[in-house]
Amino acid sequence: MVLTQRLHEAFKGTVERITGPRTVSAFKEKGVLSVSEFVLAGDNLVAKCPTWSWEAGETSKRKSYLPDDKQYLITRNVPCLRRASSMEEEYDAAGGEFLLGNDDDDGDGWLATHGMPKETKSSEVEGLPSMESLEISKGAAIRSIPAYFGGEEEEDIPDMEDYEDPENLIETDTASAHATLQSTYFVANEPEDDNILRTRTYDVSITYDKYYQTPRVWLTGYDESRMPLQPELVFEDVSQDHARKTVTTEDHPHLPGKHASVHPCRHGAVMKKIIDVLISRGVEPEVDKYLFLFLKFIASVVPTIEYDYTMDFDLGSSSH
Amino acid sequence: SSSDKGSGRILQFDPFQSLVDEGFWHRLSSLKLDSLGLDQSPIPLTGTPLLPSFFSLAFSVCFYAPCSHPKVSNRLTLLAESLPSDFKELQFSLERAHGNRNRCPVPGTLYNMNTFESFKALDRDSLLKKEAKKILDDIHSAKVEEDSAVLSRFFIISFADLKKWNFLHWLAFPALVVGPPAVVLNLRPAREVFNQGEAQSLSAALNEWRNSSLTTGVLYFLVSIASNSRATIRQLKDWKACQDDGQKLLFGFYDPSCRLDNPGWPLRNYLAFISLRCQDGKIQFLCYREKRGFADMGLSLVGEAVISPSKDCRDPQCVPKAVGWEPKPKSINLAESMNPERLAVSAA
Repeated sequence: MVLTQRLHEAFKGTVERITGPRTVSAFKEKGVLSVSEFVLAGDNLVAKCPTWSWEAGETSKRKSYLPDDKQYLITRNVPCLRRASSMEEEYDAAGGEFLLGNDDDDGDGWLATHGMPKETKSSEVEGLPSMESLEISKGAAIRSIPAYFGGEEEEDIPDMEDYEDPENLIETDTASAHATLQSTYFVANEPEDDNILRTRTYDVSITYDKYYQTPRVWLTGYDESRMPLQPELVFEDVSQDHARKTVTTEDHPHLPGKHASVHPCRHGAVMKKIIDVLISRGVEPEVDKYLFLFLKFIASVVPTIEYDYTMDFDLGSSSH
Repeated sequence: SSSDKGSGRILQFDPFQSLVDEGFWHRLSSLKLDSLGLDQSPIPLTGTPLLPSFFSLAFSVCFYAPCSHPKVSNRLTLLAESLPSDFKELQFSLERAHGNRNRCPVPGTLYNMNTFESFKALDRDSLLKKEAKKILDDIHSAKVEEDSAVLSRFFIISFADLKKWNFLHWLAFPALVVGPPAVVLNLRPAREVFNQGEAQSLSAALNEWRNSSLTTGVLYFLVSIASNSRATIRQLKDWKACQDDGQKLLFGFYDPSCRLDNPGWPLRNYLAFISLRCQDGKIQFLCYREKRGFADMGLSLVGEAVISPSKDCRDPQCVPKAVGWEPKPKSINLAESMNPERLAVSAA
């Protein structure tokens, strides 16, 4: 299993080294992006949703075909207010319906995966890709993920419980909002009307995958105390149909460590479907809006993370 | 209403929360391994004699941005870019990635200890005082007016165990205590305080400020509102001119907090600066917040507070009281991504 994936990665790396980046647009024909189209679409995302920014990343990891200061896109501190499993039971139809429109007749399409009520489906658009077709070839996906935080070596890590602040100055500080019941001022004693959430957050990044010629999404999770989330726990925030299949943990091209990623092998095909839906509704899709469409598609895989992908842009109204 | 509830109480601040990205520890490790070797000798980086068994980096930075979501406060983030990529970079003045609106730089100091014992033995109280004193000095020397980010100066103590890839760390965001606590007279969403013309003009001016690469990283600023409702944003160094022009003056800052009843931590030292340099008594401030990256007058707060520094702190020689340690140290193990043996196994 793992070997298959590694062989594929090696093959992909070789192909990427010996082939030049795409220069001719195949956006409408194949749903893919050239490098310059990716930069164009990224510029537009950053302009319209300024919580996204371009990053230069580590010098040693730069891709020569991308501008030095536009290696990947990132938005940080995105809240994830609840787990995907609870989300699936009460999916709000508003988000995905607009683009992905309709369910397959067999109920196996995109919307079915996040629990869209069946009665809303119409037959206007024929089958969007099914979950089955989006899975990476069976068994190729998952590597085991050993414990992130020490695991067997835990006994060597200094025990923080023995190391509390002996005489915390802050105790007498009256001006901290998290008042002072206990020995430190950060300890929560929040006002009763406080709606502050202790929630997971994500950094969401988008890289360009030269092999598949599509964007690729990466998720870096943090727990309620802002410590990195074990990749295994990230799967709780992914649509259960996708966890470990289309979403796997892999090395990020620009950041250290393992990060959850939506595998791009079917991105081109899905984007092609979305573009066809738009064209069938009389909307001429523009390549600089690719990432907005793309992020709407990703939202069906990761329904719980509230990153910015909405904007008031004119895609034409749908015909129902 | 919220104004009644807020009136006359002690102004309380939502503490900063830190997040240390994995990349920060990778960068620190390669600095130690590549540039220093594994020996424990101290490196005289700051020009002052250092204790054995630790080094300090006086030029690290961390990043924050205004709150951009009604339910989640922004945090202060340490990334790989918070450290130089090698020690050859040390001499030049720090290039702080100006121009990225989501990464406004704040200067800080890293004290990395080479043993757990020396980490434990650190006198954290005097370190906090020392860092707070830097802030007070910058207020008195007018450095704050030139580079207001020094008001949010942070520091971090750490013990990087490169044999086990374990990183123990503890952050502090020093806040000066220069007088009796500020008393809040009024604290309300900006939308309720300004008329519609003022709110629109202010939003437009703030969005322009945030869109310019020259000003987007400037955390503290002045807001003038003319009698014709026109809002202008100005640099801190113009405070004297703003006071004298007869317009309504608010002291604005990027607020990482999302709380509707409290301003965020960066206001604390700002009030110290205002009371020691500009004016005491009754002042108005603006907690600037965004939604989806744009100025939001419903989340942004306008407050009115009474501040009065104690006489001692007007003396540049004074050593002020300070608070600001995060409640606990944190520990992270990165053997999974750093241990060459484990990497070899997972690659096999």
